[in-house]
Amino acid sequence: MFKLATKAIEVANKHRVDFGDIRIVEERNQSLAVKSGEISSLVDETTLGYGIRVLYQGAWGFASGREMTERAVAETALKAIAIAKASRLLMHGKVRLAPEPAYQDFWQTPFLKDPFAVPVQAKLDMLFALDKVLRADKRIKVSESEMVFMREHQWHMTTEGSRIEQVLLNTGGCVTATAVQNGESQLRGYPCSHGGQTLGGGWEIIEAMDLPAHADRVREEAIALLKAPVCPAGVKDLIISGNQMALQIHESVGHASELDRVLGYEESYAGSSFATTEKLGKFRYGSPIVNLVADATLPGGLATAGYDDDAVKAQRWHIVKDGILSGYMTNREFCGRIGMERSWGSCRADGYSNIPITRICNLSLMPGKSSTEELIAGIKDGVMMENNTSWSIDQKRLNFQFGCEIGWEIKNGKKGRMIKNPRYQGITPEFWGSCDAIAGPQEWRLWGVANCGKGQPGQRAMMCHGSSPARFRKVKVGVHG
Amino acid sequence: MKNIETVLKKIFRLAGRVQCEVMAERRDSALTRFADNVISQNVASSALNFSVRLLDGGRSAKLAFNQTDDASLKRAVSAGLEVLKRQKKDPDLLPLAKPRALPAGKNLYDRATAELAPAFRAEKAAELARACRKAGQVSCGTVDNGASELVIANSLGLFARYRSTSVTHSVTVTDRDGSGWAEQTSHDVKDIDFARLNETARAKAAASRKPRDSKPGKYTVVLEPQAAADLLTYVNAYSFGGQFYNEGRSFVCGRLGKRVLSPLLTLEDDYLGAAPGMPFDFEGQPRARVTLVENGVLKNIVHDRKTAKKAKTVSTGHALPQPSYFGPLALNLSVKPGKGSLEDLVKGTERGILVTQFHYTNLLKAQTMEMTGMTRNGTFMIEDGKISYPIKNMRFTQSMVEAFANIEAVGSEAELLAGWGSISCPPMRLAGFNFSSATKF
Repeated sequence: MFKLATKAIEVANKHRVDFGDIRIVEERNQSLAVKSGEISSLVDETTLGYGIRVLYQGAWGFASGREMTERAVAETALKAIAIAKASRLLMHGKVRLAPEPAYQDFWQTPFLKDPFAVPVQAKLDMLFALDKVLRADKRIKVSESEMVFMREHQWHMTTEGSRIEQVLLNTGGCVTATAVQNGESQLRGYPCSHGGQTLGGGWEIIEAMDLPAHADRVREEAIALLKAPVCPAGVKDLIISGNQMALQIHESVGHASELDRVLGYEESYAGSSFATTEKLGKFRYGSPIVNLVADATLPGGLATAGYDDDAVKAQRWHIVKDGILSGYMTNREFCGRIGMERSWGSCRADGYSNIPITRICNLSLMPGKSSTEELIAGIKDGVMMENNTSWSIDQKRLNFQFGCEIGWEIKNGKKGRMIKNPRYQGITPEFWGSCDAIAGPQEWRLWGVANCGKGQPGQRAMMCHGSSPARFRKVKVGVHG
Repeated sequence: MKNIETVLKKIFRLAGRVQCEVMAERRDSALTRFADNVISQNVASSALNFSVRLLDGGRSAKLAFNQTDDASLKRAVSAGLEVLKRQKKDPDLLPLAKPRALPAGKNLYDRATAELAPAFRAEKAAELARACRKAGQVSCGTVDNGASELVIANSLGLFARYRSTSVTHSVTVTDRDGSGWAEQTSHDVKDIDFARLNETARAKAAASRKPRDSKPGKYTVVLEPQAAADLLTYVNAYSFGGQFYNEGRSFVCGRLGKRVLSPLLTLEDDYLGAAPGMPFDFEGQPRARVTLVENGVLKNIVHDRKTAKKAKTVSTGHALPQPSYFGPLALNLSVKPGKGSLEDLVKGTERGILVTQFHYTNLLKAQTMEMTGMTRNGTFMIEDGKISYPIKNMRFTQSMVEAFANIEAVGSEAELLAGWGSISCPPMRLAGFNFSSATKF
């Protein structure tokens, strides 16, 4: 593949571009799902193509193609250069990329068992068995068991001399049950719903989830939620657990810290950010116990790789340190705007046909010293919520509302009855500022977000957020229309 | 096209006696994105993707690929056939659709639109940026164009083909603490009124400067077409599809024939109507014109072959690519216009809020279509029939069944908007719309 890639670099160099790169990407995605006794997905998808990016006299151009011939690659490179020439019509100054050494390297997601080598029928047998357990009660009207396996093989070559080959492997799965009765429906999932839990690795991730051990509980809790009281409305203390912490981190810190958004480059679509650059190093984002760390080297992370799509080596850095805004998600184009001489390396593209853009890296809330029992014991009147069902946040990432699958009342330090439709609202810095306890490393888990949308044309990216359950004081809960 | 047909023949030959359905999509698209009054991204992509469904005696497998040389095709189809052999039978699996006569549909292909040059898109971005710079405003947005060709064919002889073009100019302008937005989409670049869109977004950004706080609570709202469409596309997706209906998860369940929504609301799906589109669905079945809501009465839901069989009826031609997680979906929606302009709707409002568009809307509860989301890019207080001042953005938490039962007026001027498919939607005035909190800008 590097022989083919060389053609694009030759064309770019011949036209004296400031910078050029080609990413040849081969993807294989297999998704299997059984829904209410029927196969709802059994797809094996393979795509191969390349995206060529050029910076010509300080302006960007990008074109992609799927014809794997030297002639087609050269034509696509010329197309990218023509587009860059058009971009020169509207520019303030020349785009300059932060320097990065050239690398010749190979990197691969560590895994124990190749999921594509596990027979499809064995996977289907497992999903059908799970589905049978989920549907064991007539009140379950929709049951879903899913698995997904994704492998991305990249060959990345730049005019600076980088020649990087990477093989990224991700695996996911879940079971969900929806109980319906008397005009009411309730969803419960394990490990979570919305496509389930996805992590970097192989078939061993499915084995570790142990989906069969949880299917009975998922079914029974979905049914129990039908008759549970609605989450009471009011200002109460809140414990967030399960993948809801991942969504909270993702929406209110992850997107807010993407430097392209902060600088207004995402304004026309997903919006901008309140976490503007003059706040760096000064702004109190959360309480002093809040530490949020971006980490492209995190084992099992969906954004874990040797290098990002700017050919920058993987790094680990703080976004929030001791409650203070301390960093951003960066690419090589924008990091200079905050005085950085080197990008932190969080620039990625979706497949071969999209231009790399600034994305959220793996971003985790560092564990505290408490336990969930201690978090509960410290609450007089509160609610505990688990696993996300709905999410919404304004375009500057301040006002948010989240809905969860399940909740429990907490009264006088004790976990009480189950409640349904638990929701909460907040304003980002006030909310993180109210965090007064975080459970310890023994409860810390990594959660995958496999469907993060951004950009125009729209791109999907994947990342993980690690967290332990955490406690927040005086939160508006039980918001209903 | 010739290339697609050649590949189809090879796939059918490789599949042998096994039933085979192929969806082929060629898409050439380009997008110029601008922000901070400069071009920030300028991209083009060219793709040709095939997805193949193999069916044999109750067994099925689906594969997708984009490499069409003989070796790649053989490898892909052979792997699919291998999966098929080792699979258990699914008694509910439908056989492939038989060929049916298909209408031609509207011509939505324009060669000039397909071939817009990067220089054209750059110049359109520059026109706006120049005006914004002069006025101390900042422009952001996109100019994009593309052409696509879709072929659905199967080994029973079904062959359906459709091609179309698209062009969209989307403008967001910020003016210090104000922001405005405008967008137009069409299949023909001659329809796009670049100057009007630029002026609308710029004027709204200027008018929304220095927004004031307002208290959460129930308000009359005047929804501009995009705001109304943001909500109605959700109502359509989660309520009027056969799968949600069959599963008992739609508010329409048990209420067909009943007046549940406002008598002022009529909503239909028609590929020949105000939001035109492909005349067949992703099973190659002809789309029927379906009235979903007529004067507030819930009339029909849409089906694919699978949900139709379960509901003991026939497909309305609204299948998504099979197998579909989501079930059937109406993609060519139009709301019947009423009387009066947007200004007239404002004039008839004693006290209320004008919403340009909503942001990050999401469904909370399907049975009542309770939703949440934020206002964006121009939110104004209306007092005594006039826009009195801009306000900071608000979050709504509201049942859409209740909201669209409370329509006070529907405007006459519908706009064609992109959604899940497309929707033609006029402005509306709704009473008692619940805003649950406010934000800080």
